[in-house]
Amino acid sequence: MSDELFVVDNLTVTLPTSRGPVDVVKNVSFTVGRDETVGIVGESGSGKSMTALAVLGLLPRGARTSGSVRLDGAELLGRSDRDLKSVRGNAISMVFQDPLSSLNPYYTVGLQIEEMYRTHRGGTRRAARRVAIEALERVHIPDAARRVDHYPHQFSGGMRQRVMIAMALCCSPSLLIADEPTTALDVTVQAQILELLSELQSTTGTGMMFITHDLAVISSIAQRVLVMQSGDPVEYGTAEQVFSDPRHEYTRMLLDAVPRIDDEVAL
Amino acid sequence: MTLLEVRGVTKEFVTRGEGTMARKSVFTAVDDVSFEVELGETLAIVGESGSGKSTTARIAARLLEPTAGAVVFDGQDVTRARGKELASFRNNVQVVFQDPFSSLNPRYTVEGIVTAPLTYQGITPKGGRRAFTQELMERVGLNPDHCRRYPAQFSGGQAQRIGIARALAVNPKLVICDEAVSALDVSIQAQVLELLMRLQRESGFSYVFIAHDLAVVRQISQRVAVMNRGRIVEVGTRDQVFGDPQDEYTKTLLAAVPRINPEWDARRRGKKAS
Repeated sequence: MSDELFVVDNLTVTLPTSRGPVDVVKNVSFTVGRDETVGIVGESGSGKSMTALAVLGLLPRGARTSGSVRLDGAELLGRSDRDLKSVRGNAISMVFQDPLSSLNPYYTVGLQIEEMYRTHRGGTRRAARRVAIEALERVHIPDAARRVDHYPHQFSGGMRQRVMIAMALCCSPSLLIADEPTTALDVTVQAQILELLSELQSTTGTGMMFITHDLAVISSIAQRVLVMQSGDPVEYGTAEQVFSDPRHEYTRMLLDAVPRIDDEVAL
Repeated sequence: MTLLEVRGVTKEFVTRGEGTMARKSVFTAVDDVSFEVELGETLAIVGESGSGKSTTARIAARLLEPTAGAVVFDGQDVTRARGKELASFRNNVQVVFQDPFSSLNPRYTVEGIVTAPLTYQGITPKGGRRAFTQELMERVGLNPDHCRRYPAQFSGGQAQRIGIARALAVNPKLVICDEAVSALDVSIQAQVLELLMRLQRESGFSYVFIAHDLAVVRQISQRVAVMNRGRIVEVGTRDQVFGDPQDEYTKTLLAAVPRINPEWDARRRGKKAS
């Protein structure tokens, strides 16, 4: 039980379309243990982001779900929006691809972290401000006590993503969902953010569901991997097994398509 | 033979600082950049966001005017070319952009899109527009029966093929690809890269290939220029730059590229080979 922090069991997501209902996620099952990172990888339209949204009850209107999603044994699917509000940002939080569109440009980053913290934990503004500064320090934002009063546009892309991570972790969630968190970043900044996420995970023990289209990124961060294609889970196993001995034809095709930087290629 | 020569090109943008009384400030996006492209070769320009690689590409394509420096094509200075001279340059240099959907007119059919450069150049294709379009579509791996469809009826990879077909319509000597495969899924990306290389083998034109993805650059280029903060910090053959980088920034960039665990990868490929 203790190693099964988060369980997704036979999750199916159905969206209404003009041509009738379509299953965008079909019978997906996986588990995330404490301290563990599970990577969900697939191309566009594979259903990887829909899986994350379903977990948090953030699906578009009219979507139907079936199966089971449990955090620490408690069922999340079918809970009311009000009920889930106490879960989102608290027990489960999320980091998205584009930090600029997920941060409010009108408020300082400090206020946004404080709001998040006080929504779930209450307490005084003064205490929340201390939490915000500590959170920024934890993600290695230099001069955090001053930067806490800055607006999102005053940060670079990489620093903004650090702010998002600080916000996501300020309530000490047991599960962090990262949806393409490094996709919009330059490669040198990406390397720093991946390192930060691994470091924070080892100090906090947060379980992580890491969604990406990039197999090389998955290989460097995940212990277990789920490969998805058009809503179907095509392969699920340890990272080592999936990368060294893929069972499914689609996984093999995907791995073959990745351009290699260290390969000698003839022209 | 040197096809394109970019000589000491600088591009400054004037920006206004913060506040009402702020003074104008000058941002140098491209700073004294020079390079050459030989006929039939692929030169890649790599760099991170803000490195000036796209601005350089736009100047080379005459979509932007440089603040200083010159663009020489086929021995002719085209930096300030106008009218007929510019039209002839456009006939020889075409661009493929990153986002196929925003660079294809949504209200034109494939036929309209692909033949637009000909209309602009005042050329009537032999055998008619339809046959011309269908032949080009076949070359880039599209079903020629779909020549009357609109961009929205194609997938991202197919739409990029339409963009490539349009670039090839005037039989250019140089094709500038500005992040042409960056928006594509990895399996589609591999196919489009394959297509770009095949077309070059068939027609012998040159590419200037702008990209942020070093692994992609390694697949397609013979020579590589690395840009950082508006300057070319290193230029050399592909194997020099990747195998024995000299500049500190190039080294940092190469080290930061995420890699599939090499041991796992080798095991998988070993199995495949046996």
